[in-house]
Amino acid sequence: MKRKTSPILLVVLALAFICQGLLQRFEIFDHWVKVYNPGKGKLYTNAMSPDQLLAVLAGFREITAGILWVKADTFFDQGNYDAILPLIRLVTLLDPNEIDVYATGMWHIGYNFTDEEQRSDRRYIPSALALGKEGTRQNPDTYELFFEEGWLWYHKIDDDYSNAVDWFKKARDKPDMLPARKNLLGMAYQRSGEVDKSVDTYYRLYEDAVEKYKKESAFGNHQNRDTLESNLDNMLVREVQRGYVAGKENRPLTSYDVNPPFDVGFSVKATVVEPNVIRFEGTWNVLPVGTRIRVVLRDLNYPHAKPAEMEWDCSDNVNLDPPRDQTFMQEQLFVRNRRFNKKVDMSKDPTMYPFTSDNYVMEFYYNPRSAPPHLQDKFSWSGEGLTDKNYLNTDVRKGQRVIFASLPITRDMIKRYGQWVDKTPVVKTPNYAESAPDAGRADDDVVLKIPSLRAGSTGGK
Amino acid sequence: MRPILAIASTTVGEAIRRKVLLIILLIGVLFIVVAPGLGILSARSETTVLKSFMLGVTQGVSAIIAVILTVYMIPNEIERRTIYTILSKPVQRWQFLVGKYLGAVLSLLLMMSMMSAVMCLMFFLQQQSKNVSEIADLMKGPMMYFVQMCLLAAVAIFFSTFVAPLVNFFLTVGVFLVGVFFNPLFQSLQDNQNTVPFVKIMAKAVNTILPNFANYNIQNPLINSNPSIQNEGRYFLGITVYGVVYIGILLILGILIFDRREV
Repeated sequence: MKRKTSPILLVVLALAFICQGLLQRFEIFDHWVKVYNPGKGKLYTNAMSPDQLLAVLAGFREITAGILWVKADTFFDQGNYDAILPLIRLVTLLDPNEIDVYATGMWHIGYNFTDEEQRSDRRYIPSALALGKEGTRQNPDTYELFFEEGWLWYHKIDDDYSNAVDWFKKARDKPDMLPARKNLLGMAYQRSGEVDKSVDTYYRLYEDAVEKYKKESAFGNHQNRDTLESNLDNMLVREVQRGYVAGKENRPLTSYDVNPPFDVGFSVKATVVEPNVIRFEGTWNVLPVGTRIRVVLRDLNYPHAKPAEMEWDCSDNVNLDPPRDQTFMQEQLFVRNRRFNKKVDMSKDPTMYPFTSDNYVMEFYYNPRSAPPHLQDKFSWSGEGLTDKNYLNTDVRKGQRVIFASLPITRDMIKRYGQWVDKTPVVKTPNYAESAPDAGRADDDVVLKIPSLRAGSTGGK
Repeated sequence: MRPILAIASTTVGEAIRRKVLLIILLIGVLFIVVAPGLGILSARSETTVLKSFMLGVTQGVSAIIAVILTVYMIPNEIERRTIYTILSKPVQRWQFLVGKYLGAVLSLLLMMSMMSAVMCLMFFLQQQSKNVSEIADLMKGPMMYFVQMCLLAAVAIFFSTFVAPLVNFFLTVGVFLVGVFFNPLFQSLQDNQNTVPFVKIMAKAVNTILPNFANYNIQNPLINSNPSIQNEGRYFLGITVYGVVYIGILLILGILIFDRREV
């Protein structure tokens, strides 16, 4: 005999089914995605999605990530840097909360890919920044990756300091930010040319440090308070010394170091001494040591190129395969005795300097914001005390007076092909004077000798 | 009610006597005991690795126990013909099925409690944590896994009313895996602008109809401390109610099928 199913039971069953569906759809799913989803509901990458990996690794993501990271550490020790890149990517996908992996990964990508002469491969920097940005989105509650991102701008890119300010501000606002690290915001403001904000920041931090030391007289608190006091003192003196205060009050700058602006007399000659080896020689009439002139040699049409740099923050995607057929060499030319002379050998690293295009450009750039304080005392934060009758530029960095020169060069010249097999290619600025042994010294009388904290004692003429 | 409880207690006794379950449990406990040694895998994240591993082991071992315990439950009774002696007494088929299920749930509770206790002890020893709230936080994982395993057991019991144990094993494991991994996949499909609307609708339908085991995977914020969880209690209540409703559906369906089955 066939049993009949109770209609009430069927109704209960149907209602229960609808009930579970409604619960799942309207109560549970969105909350789960927001809070409990391992990727926190957002995939910030075009690479393999975390759930695909999850399907394989079940509940052991963090363990697997840990094992892979230990393996990456071994590769670090062996100097096998290329092998580390995919591991970094895999570990951060497996466990997006591995802050150390993000931080180390950024550092590794940004700093460790170098040529035989320890010049880092700048083509990777957008990837390093992108990895850091991904890390901040995955770990928005802690200061660390915001700070690391700011540090990469501040220290490695060493230009466009407003970006460092933005990231340090975000880091400062996190509750776990270390007090001593907050000081860097003041420094970043200063390098960004925002002097008032720098002073304000130091004042606020100093007051906090004094309060903290009153509450707890630990050595660290004492040290932090003293450091801030010193930073603040220096800043206040420099504000006056560099004529910043006078400028704000529309007073004449006659007795300040930045006035009159000093002509640095920049000139340069680039000689291709061997295939892929270029010697840069030139003049810079600043006697004290500490000047570093940036030289960039890049494809004329390098993607996202800007004067003497590139659009570093050009991508949100971590691309571990930078444009390998393009060249972007960046080096510092150190000035000694008013001259610089450096041989840049790009012959041993064809993957970093492929030179596949026909045309290249050499850019020379000096920015007083990256200068050491004793030189800034003359040039000030935004180059108020700096000039050059040929190469002063106020366009390539808004609101700043920098030195910028650009010279073309071809692939045939760099590689010594065609007519350059027997003839040494030389590219130079028109003002470069060839007269040994002081070649290039246009005017020996115009030398910046002793910058000093005392107003009116800059040497100069 | 009395027949249900009698069958449930007998089932618990049987489960405890099954060596294979005890061995799996022992392996799970051993893994949890060695877990603190895995801190070396991460320089600054020892706690993260410890929590991740212990919760992963608890969930994985519980799932294996739940499946092995339940897939053979009804077929064994039929195969050994012990079901005749039970059903010849004044015991309805639905009482038998519910009793068996309750027995499985109690056995799971017993075994999971044991693993959780060891987990708490190891966490306490490793961390020297006198902070009870930290341990209580960690316990949210096993609590929600328990509801998850109850749902898994209900799926296995439901299938065991009409398929052979081996088929049941693969069906149950399959449903579990789909239920565990569909949530992130569904979210990815929703977020991807290139997904065809039809696929989105299908994904939504499957996500609504199938038992969603991923709801109970709450370990992420437990492992990586996340202070910004809101409405946690409401969420836990929601998924518990969801689990109970779904278990009810599966048991009713199981009863309807089992009632019509020739044994």
